[in-house]
Amino acid sequence: MMPTPLERRQLTLGMLPLADAAPLVAALHAGFFAGEGLEVTLSIEPSWANIRDRIQLGVLDAAQMLPLMPLAASLGLDGQLTPMLSALTLNRNGNAVTVSRPLFAAMQHQHPGLQPDDPASAGALAEVIAERRASGQALLRFATVYPFSSHRYQLRYWLGSAGIDPDRDLELRVMPPPQMAAQLEAGWLDGYCVGEPWNAMARRQHQGEVAISGHRIWEGAPEKVLGVTRAWHDAHPGTHQALLRALIRTGAWLDDDTEHRRQAARWMIDGGYLDAAPEDVERSLELRDDGIIFSRSVTPWPWRSQTLWYAAQMARWGHLPESESDAAHLIGAVMQCTRPDLCRQATDALGLPMPEGDSKLEGCHEGPWQLEGRDGGTLEMSADRFIDGAIFDPGRLDELLEHYRQLSMLNRPAR
Amino acid sequence: MSARVLIVDARSERSQALEQALREAGFDVVMTIGEQEDLYAAVEQLEPDAVLIDAASPSRDSLEHLGQLGKRYPRPMIMLTSQDSPELTRDAARAGVSAYVVESLMPPLMRSMIDVAIASFEQHNALREELTRTRRSMTERKAVDRAKTLLMERRRLSENNAYQYLRKLAMDRRMNMSELAEELINAADERRR
Repeated sequence: MMPTPLERRQLTLGMLPLADAAPLVAALHAGFFAGEGLEVTLSIEPSWANIRDRIQLGVLDAAQMLPLMPLAASLGLDGQLTPMLSALTLNRNGNAVTVSRPLFAAMQHQHPGLQPDDPASAGALAEVIAERRASGQALLRFATVYPFSSHRYQLRYWLGSAGIDPDRDLELRVMPPPQMAAQLEAGWLDGYCVGEPWNAMARRQHQGEVAISGHRIWEGAPEKVLGVTRAWHDAHPGTHQALLRALIRTGAWLDDDTEHRRQAARWMIDGGYLDAAPEDVERSLELRDDGIIFSRSVTPWPWRSQTLWYAAQMARWGHLPESESDAAHLIGAVMQCTRPDLCRQATDALGLPMPEGDSKLEGCHEGPWQLEGRDGGTLEMSADRFIDGAIFDPGRLDELLEHYRQLSMLNRPAR
Repeated sequence: MSARVLIVDARSERSQALEQALREAGFDVVMTIGEQEDLYAAVEQLEPDAVLIDAASPSRDSLEHLGQLGKRYPRPMIMLTSQDSPELTRDAARAGVSAYVVESLMPPLMRSMIDVAIASFEQHNALREELTRTRRSMTERKAVDRAKTLLMERRRLSENNAYQYLRKLAMDRRMNMSELAEELINAADERRR
């Protein structure tokens, strides 16, 4: 098959100063963009809002995004109503919930023997909250990074797993990640859910303790995606494919060798992409079983069931308008903006096996498992469990939404 | 009643100028805060009709969250203006202004507020550029002077001849005088080491 021509070569891609922007930085410095004939400029953006604005205004061609951003923009919830899509997951895992040292001590007091990153941490927090309420103390304050963020819904899912109602039992805010650890130490925040290097840094500087890491909340959760507007994709289908190929190859390179991870960390530090201590960036990008992944376990594959899970969480907490909250509507929207069909074009061109399906049951596997690829080969998959052992069946989304609706009517005033 | 505006800006000279320009245009600036301060408390207590913030501020994401919490909170300008006037959002982005506005604020009022902010930011940017240019030209002039002195000492040239020599060499090598001067000074420093 003839490769599709490039509609344009010079591209500006947006990214945030985060450890998991490594695929974009490595694609530039290791020459994967150049290998596809692309001349890429990386624009380091100060906020997710800026990424959204500059994508919607057409200043950026494509950007690192949170997995819900294309859906939220397509539904008109995030900025101007703009159909957006993503055909590639850039990475999975890598977040954690860090709590202040006094709060961790209080959790240990309730639950003797509680360790950092302990599955029992949500229960211990629930007990601390109950005791604080009984003695008339103020609500604990937790922060995440953006309204339409994986962090927000991972934190809420973890809290919900122990019966904590995030809207009633806590005060939840959004704060720029570089400020979080200092605010934790100052006592203005009690905890946060954020990506790296901001958990590694807080831990090294003894500003906080990891209560739970993201992979324990939902193993293999999609964390960042490559997002574009649908209009951009329609005008540059060949360029989009070249970008996907370059980034899929970069992900494989990053997961191939610990030395490649270290090299990427050095590029990020020396290139000024990320203002953090080198040891924290290196630690964040270490290749380990419970760490961030860029290629393993079919990381690039944009499972529609996973965007739907996030969408269901938005509905659960009242973050979707009533009109958008029915299953048929959400499935239709996710079909438009999560695009495994476009990913498949790129992986076929690279000769990489990918799954047959676009959706799967989420949460069925406690450990490694195997999935049949479309070509009949076997794909090695990692665990995909949720912290509460739930199984998410995208085919029964309507039942789950109804369940959430009933829970919310029992529990809380809307906020 | 005039629109009530909250300014969030890390640079105090710029926010002071913006505050004054907005007052002169008839807006009520309720408070100006740095981005390390508690945005949530400020927005909840002051209930501003609009928040103006440096587009480069990471705290924008906190305002995005506030805008999701209910109708009384200001929402990002791009949600409200782009349909009918994309150029306003684009001009604001270019000037580095980001605005959050309550839905009830009259569109002409919002437009005039954003125009004032754009003008104020642009003026500030121009002043900063001017300052950088002045600093740069002073550094350059110093380099040329030093190179001239070097030539006067080494080659025993008069000041005028040293200058003419530098000029000709720069033309021959297609460099500007200050670049050449820097090069000569560096080479002299190398030799000394």
